[in-house]
Amino acid sequence: MVRLGRYVLAPLAGLLLAGASQAQEMTDVGTPRNETLIVQTFDGKTANPNAQNPFNLYAIWRGFRELGWSFLWEMDTATGQSYPELAAGPVEVLNPEHTKFRIKIRPGVFWSDGVELTADDFIYTLDTASKYKDKLNFVAGYVNYVKSWAKVDNYTFEVETTKTAYDVQTVLGVYTWGSQFTPAPKHIFEPQGDNVVTFENAPAVTLGPYKIKEYDPNGFWQLWELRDDWQRSGWGNAGTPKAKYVLYKDFGAEETRALSFVQNKYDIDTFMSPDSIAAAKARNPAIETFSKTFPYHDMNDACSYGIYINQQKAPYDKAEVRWALALTVDLKTVGLSALSGQFKAAAMPLSDTPITNAAFYGPLDGFLNELTLADGYKPFDPTFGQQMVEALKAQGAPESELPTGDAVKEGFGTGWWKYDPAQAEKLLASVGIKKGADGFYALPDGSPWVVELVFPSDWNKVMQRVGFSIADSWKKAGFNVNARQVDAGEHGTVGNTNSKFNLELQWNNTCVYNVNWLNGWRSFNADNVKPVDSSDALSGNYLRVTDPEIFQLVADSANLPTEDPQFAENGRSIMKKLTEGMQEINLMNIPTTIPTNSTYWRNYPKQDNFYAAPYSWWSSFKKTILNIEPTGK
Amino acid sequence: MGVLQYVAKRIGLYLAVLFIGLSITFLLPRFMPANPIEAYISQLQSRANGSLTPEAIAEMRASLEQLYGLKGDLLTQYFNYMKRIVTQFDFGLSIAFYPQSVTTMILGALPWTLGLLLTSTVVAWLLGNMVGLVAGYFHTKKAATILEVVGILLYPIPYYILAVSVLLLLAYIFPIFPLSPTFPVGQMTPQKFGMVIYNSLLPALTLVLAGFGWNILSMKALAVATTEEPYVTYARLKGASNWTRMVRYVFRNAMLPQVTALALSLGTVFNGALLTEMLFSYPGVGLIMRTAAGGGDYNVLYGAIAISIIAVATAGLIIDLIYPLLDPRIRHK
Repeated sequence: MVRLGRYVLAPLAGLLLAGASQAQEMTDVGTPRNETLIVQTFDGKTANPNAQNPFNLYAIWRGFRELGWSFLWEMDTATGQSYPELAAGPVEVLNPEHTKFRIKIRPGVFWSDGVELTADDFIYTLDTASKYKDKLNFVAGYVNYVKSWAKVDNYTFEVETTKTAYDVQTVLGVYTWGSQFTPAPKHIFEPQGDNVVTFENAPAVTLGPYKIKEYDPNGFWQLWELRDDWQRSGWGNAGTPKAKYVLYKDFGAEETRALSFVQNKYDIDTFMSPDSIAAAKARNPAIETFSKTFPYHDMNDACSYGIYINQQKAPYDKAEVRWALALTVDLKTVGLSALSGQFKAAAMPLSDTPITNAAFYGPLDGFLNELTLADGYKPFDPTFGQQMVEALKAQGAPESELPTGDAVKEGFGTGWWKYDPAQAEKLLASVGIKKGADGFYALPDGSPWVVELVFPSDWNKVMQRVGFSIADSWKKAGFNVNARQVDAGEHGTVGNTNSKFNLELQWNNTCVYNVNWLNGWRSFNADNVKPVDSSDALSGNYLRVTDPEIFQLVADSANLPTEDPQFAENGRSIMKKLTEGMQEINLMNIPTTIPTNSTYWRNYPKQDNFYAAPYSWWSSFKKTILNIEPTGK
Repeated sequence: MGVLQYVAKRIGLYLAVLFIGLSITFLLPRFMPANPIEAYISQLQSRANGSLTPEAIAEMRASLEQLYGLKGDLLTQYFNYMKRIVTQFDFGLSIAFYPQSVTTMILGALPWTLGLLLTSTVVAWLLGNMVGLVAGYFHTKKAATILEVVGILLYPIPYYILAVSVLLLLAYIFPIFPLSPTFPVGQMTPQKFGMVIYNSLLPALTLVLAGFGWNILSMKALAVATTEEPYVTYARLKGASNWTRMVRYVFRNAMLPQVTALALSLGTVFNGALLTEMLFSYPGVGLIMRTAAGGGDYNVLYGAIAISIIAVATAGLIIDLIYPLLDPRIRHK
């Protein structure tokens, strides 16, 4: 029998094992599934997969920022702290005016083709960006920030900024999701000469631990492979990347994406509607949201959703009108109907994240509670979160998934404005606006008042739903609303052009990730105010702030270190002014619904394991790459 | 009217259609409420964390206008545009996907669109006409009614519902096809070609099903009417067989409008099938046009619409030129 076992059973077992290994599940691109992290691309399919030149707008969302490029300083998105990546340490300040800086880079970092990164690459990048700045379209973030630069030695260079700069590490490095200042490999780009402006650079020679293995010329997917020499890559010193391959792929429309997710075809999604996530979770227990309790999703985005108001245009130039609009947004109903209650309210014009809360929302808690309008009315409602809990409970949400105690505030925010159409009516009456015979408010001269609200069409389904819901809320309160959903192009044009703009649901111009509020508000200055009927595009200050005191606070703060207590205090003063005048109806933190599938990989960033922001399209995704673990399946 | 005169008239008409079409193509995007440069700058501003200074934005605006041929008054832009199209077939660079040229983008997507849509359109046309012919010729028979019911059932189903149902059935419940295909890259091999065909079968099936129903109903109606014509009755009295009458008398005469419909639908395949391409993650012109429309990318819109206009007008010209060969009545006239 022993002999039989040795000569018959052993080879049979070997065959079976070989068969099993041959049956190892493979991805569509020919890599072992259990060694491949598969991520839904943030922007779907790209039309320019060959565009990989960091001087120009490139196919940015295919993993370049996360896996390919590397930056001088990265951002720890769990704490809001900048840390060195290619740089050897913090920036060295050379003069009291804070305009001259020395930057040392780490020796021993190599490009993916084996050439070492040196200061020459940075000098070449700055030279080229400056020389062709009118032809290159992804360099404006730093060419006007840096005035001059010089190489000191192979690993050191110096820069001089055009103005006092306390934010060098987050402008030449990463503030939130990546940096424009991406060093280009001199040895690849310099031979291109003047053609560098149209050079596609595909497949790109990169600095990160992954290099491009293959990509779809049609723009649906891009496959990255871990470099053999990943330890000497741009962030190879940060830890061990866990996946041998990372595949960025567009799984198509939300319907097919949700089904593919259920079939374990990929591991991390981007924005998916709450309905689709619920449906997918119900069919596959490996699919998880960011948090096990409401509001389920990550609410730590630097940006928030809000209604921008053309404050220069009558009748929106009156604070009473803006407050009346705020007090008639029934945010509880909006959030329940548009987002199934999965959102975090933010009353002031900033996102309310753990990082910004410490600097802004927390210290201004008393201000919000005591805020009083001219007639003595207190508009703030600190019980908003608890009301959400009660409403969800009434709708049948499982109690175990509802936050309690302090978690209510963490989940649903500090509070929001009262829903009070009667007070709104009073405010409007004080400026001569009353309801006409048709039941809608009319302008002081009796003419009809159509409140035009512009918001994204289905290219941003969350905002589309929120927009319709707000329009409904206003209509119920007596405003004759024209709810206009528009394409991305028109959305940008309306928001930029005074003559076209009344009210718009927006998301991107008040983004603040740490105490450096200048990042979002530096454009508040008189030069950025255009006449109310202007058809010229704005170059900033999309909130249409006209208050000279705010302009002064911004100008003063530009000369303060961002860690100076006065800097944060100035930011809070601006917040108070924006809030008192209801200069923007801020609504909520952007709910980033990023479901994950733990069939093949686990230990993604979650609410109770928050080692990084969970976005797969931010450069901080590097942290996720280092922390995920294979499940062994 | 002599043949030459007939051909010259048709070609003149063709050129006039092209001229008007291309002029409209130039003007239409300019009436769009979106300003592509502003949308683009807004996108960049967002990606630069809002850190672009007003000076940087002003500089960028000026250089983008120069770059994309949006400098100068409308007339100057128009003449430049026509000159570029006519002499070089050059639609410039994509605004949203600089520095990619519009021609490269469209030519890259066109083979996919044409491969899928030409095949499925022709298959749907052939199948639908065959079934419709039989249903129409034997319209008094119960079996013919059943064939007609297929058309009646398929035709009114909205394409989106049909496509999602097919996806659910054949890619999710019975995962025979991928929900989201991955098309192979690199040098084409027989194996890779097979994968392309395999990945294209599901979208092709939905297109065939969607086009099939209309062709059945349309051909059936034409066949019924033609069957009543005196020359068919005469053929029957002469003793011609059912097959001869159906194919040589009914089909040949009923197919003329169907050929027109086929030619026109072949012309429109250059637009791509947007819903199909979206739902099945299929690379094609439709997706490119959608992105261009959403972002106000003038140049890509010019390119895609212009190619479509040229294709439809050319299809019309070809029909006009071959019609006399198909229909003796026109030849005689």
